[in-house]
Amino acid sequence: MALDRRGFLKFIGGATAGILATPVVWKSLDDVSIWTQNWSWIPRNIDGANSYVPTVSKLCPSGVGVRVRLVDGRPVRVLTNNDHPLGGGLSSIAAAEVQLLYSPSRMKRPLKRTADGAYVGITWEEAETMLVEGLKKAKGGDKLAVITGDETGTINELFTALAAEMGSKSCFLMPGEAQPAAKAWELMGGEGQVGYDIEKSDYVLAIGANVLETWGPVIRNRRAFKAGRPHGETPSVRFAYAGPVQNNTAAGADVWLPIRPGAETVLALGLANLLIKAGASSPAADFADFKALAAKFTPEQVAAQTGVDAKRLAAVAQELAKAKRPLVIAGSEFGQGGGAAPVLAGLALNALLGSMNREGGIRALPYARKVVPAAMDRKALLQNDLVGWLGKVASGKAAAPQAIVFYEANPVYALPQTDAMKATLAKVPFKVAFTSFLDETAMACDLVLPVPMGLERFDDVDTPYGSGQVVYALAVPALAPLVDARPAGDVVIGIAKKLGADLGVAAFADALKAKAEARGASFTEPSATNAHVSSAVLPVNGIALRADVLSKAIDVKAPAFPVALAPVAKLNVGTSKTATPPFNTKTVRRWEIQGADLYVMMNGATAAKLGLQKHDRIELSNPAGKFTARVNLFEGVINDTVAVPAGHGHTAFDEFSKGKGENVMRLLAAGAEPGTGLSVWNSAGVNIAKA
Amino acid sequence: MEDRQLNSSGCGTDGGKCCGGGITPFLVGLVVSLIFGWWVFPDMIYSKKEQPIRFSHKVHMEGAGMECKQCHVLREDGTFAGLPSTASCADCHSDVMGSDPEEARFVNEYVKTGKEVKWLVYQIQPDNVFFSHAAHSLDGCNQCHEFKESELCAQCHPDVANSDSAPTHFENKLTGYSKQTMKMWQCERCHANENHYGVTSSSNACFVCHK
Repeated sequence: MALDRRGFLKFIGGATAGILATPVVWKSLDDVSIWTQNWSWIPRNIDGANSYVPTVSKLCPSGVGVRVRLVDGRPVRVLTNNDHPLGGGLSSIAAAEVQLLYSPSRMKRPLKRTADGAYVGITWEEAETMLVEGLKKAKGGDKLAVITGDETGTINELFTALAAEMGSKSCFLMPGEAQPAAKAWELMGGEGQVGYDIEKSDYVLAIGANVLETWGPVIRNRRAFKAGRPHGETPSVRFAYAGPVQNNTAAGADVWLPIRPGAETVLALGLANLLIKAGASSPAADFADFKALAAKFTPEQVAAQTGVDAKRLAAVAQELAKAKRPLVIAGSEFGQGGGAAPVLAGLALNALLGSMNREGGIRALPYARKVVPAAMDRKALLQNDLVGWLGKVASGKAAAPQAIVFYEANPVYALPQTDAMKATLAKVPFKVAFTSFLDETAMACDLVLPVPMGLERFDDVDTPYGSGQVVYALAVPALAPLVDARPAGDVVIGIAKKLGADLGVAAFADALKAKAEARGASFTEPSATNAHVSSAVLPVNGIALRADVLSKAIDVKAPAFPVALAPVAKLNVGTSKTATPPFNTKTVRRWEIQGADLYVMMNGATAAKLGLQKHDRIELSNPAGKFTARVNLFEGVINDTVAVPAGHGHTAFDEFSKGKGENVMRLLAAGAEPGTGLSVWNSAGVNIAKA
Repeated sequence: MEDRQLNSSGCGTDGGKCCGGGITPFLVGLVVSLIFGWWVFPDMIYSKKEQPIRFSHKVHMEGAGMECKQCHVLREDGTFAGLPSTASCADCHSDVMGSDPEEARFVNEYVKTGKEVKWLVYQIQPDNVFFSHAAHSLDGCNQCHEFKESELCAQCHPDVANSDSAPTHFENKLTGYSKQTMKMWQCERCHANENHYGVTSSSNACFVCHK
């Protein structure tokens, strides 16, 4: 039978009807949908046994103690470590650390800058040869400078020892809270490092110090906050915060006193005045002078200078006086540049409250002894003022070094007057960065050397500033480096040898062992924390209140600008060393960054005064720099103040940070604090105009 | 064109013979596609693979008196280790114990070389399915059922307790998954069974399995 066209169509019709009654179509559709989930670039789970490595975060400035969870030996997540003295929670930087191992801006091999400005990969042998040659030209007479971004590590001893062997004392820490505190404590005659026993306090007043976000070992602070305020029960501790912006600390505190930026010292002296009137005293030799100084800060005077009305000031003074174990913590609301005076005034308040050397008060913690003979110890390192020194280099009062070594520091992005500081650093002929990320500073260097990330190396955290006790925490690697990186400590030891210097330690691991021993720690047994706590404290005797220093420091006429500037620091956008981890981009708020635009915050009254509305594009300018931004209205900002989120506006790193927003540090002009000489940059102002 | 129209318009006047063979082509097409769809196609989309070693569960369960969980262990943290490693098999098979040539081959090729056997797994789920063996325990199910361990396992897995050789592994040529991979409706035999609600912690909410 010949099949004609009609017959064929019938056949097809029958076949189609039949095929629909079989699994062919449905199964194929199902299989295709599964197949689309099978493409090779889709990440797959890898099954295996769980293991946990207790360590401490070197990336997060809080030095949080964590546990790294590994599956089949591969790190998958950073978890809390409730047993760790600096743990009990997780910071948003530590949480992102596993993902950052695979960051697109991670340094994968040593790089050198070629004549045309491009970076090319070189071998470690070539890199070390180049480093040795560069450093040879910087021998003698402070021709080598070291800038380190690690405030707590023994690694600093190796770098400073190398500098010392080269005849240089130009070693600096990146600015932070520790430096002004060390200065204040030293001026008062205190020994060791000042410590704050938040855990045992029943009333914590933070003046400026952003204790729940950027000040000190933040996660430990948060744990103390949480422990004192159990859910559904009566809190055993009250928190009060004074600062210009309702930041995360203000939001968590029971009391928020909005004060003008840079008015911390005045507020502290106003409280001191009220406490002294209520009978508070101090055995300090200069108490009479202090009392006379404080008496000038009447509630009316304080209200005029800080914006806090007399009733609210009196209420806080009364709460402080009534508390059994009050503690005052003073610092900078954005973690740097606040000067020594606020800390000094805050410590003086503690002295008036009887909080010195008391449970739930101020402790003097001993520094660990040096383990590298030629090194600069932490106390000496804290005395060197990086911003002040760079200012002198810029003005020609100090000679520019021949070579500069940056260790996990990003001064090209993170210093005040960023543009001027960058130009000053550019004067140095040979610049080397030890870093994990290709950051702004690395992009300005002749040689960039990758260091393993914190999860890939042995390292340590020794008693971060703010801790209430001596804590020595060891960082242990959870995995071998994923890139061609070498531990900076071992590289420095090797380089020193090639330069003919013996640093006295054969390997970085030996330095860590010696430091642990110096702190009385032993890590021979498996530990759930790899951390050691010591109850060692130094006596606190003969503390002076230094009214002489305070009277000079407060006698500052801030430059007259129509609007004060209050930077707002938050950990989720990373640090200058990390930029914003891709893991955290979802935590950047809607009206903080939109596309490339930065949103700055002001309250409705300030906006109305300036004739601005939400989303208006404005230019913020002052002699230090200028940039454009958009307006967001937020009633948690004091009058006549613009709050600018910090940590944005990177010009390096990856697509998640580069070119997003503006860097507030560009608007902060550094000056010298009268009485202490320390660089300060917490009282900036700006002009605002519609752009 | 006109002729064609004339021809076609004649349909029905010629006893149906002009209509392309009546219903027959339709039926032929139907039958051919049914045969293809139900008998040829299912066989065509899978490639057949055998396990690298012929493994007898029967010998281990009946002969050695072992239980499933002795080899297919839950780790201390509740995660499922799945298949035993060569090292754990070597706890007993450090040397050839019996007369089965497959055992000798296993010992020589794997135990002595330390190589892992690339066992074919019948029921790997995709990553968008979160399945915990720890949650599907005898304690939970035997609140009402009276399963033996091997019976509980066989609710989802091929019942291999009584077999002398592992079943053939049918691998889907397109997806790579085994033919025995459980589909969601099979999970729902228990998860959507309302008699289970309130008795076990099972729920049919999406987020229970799809994270």
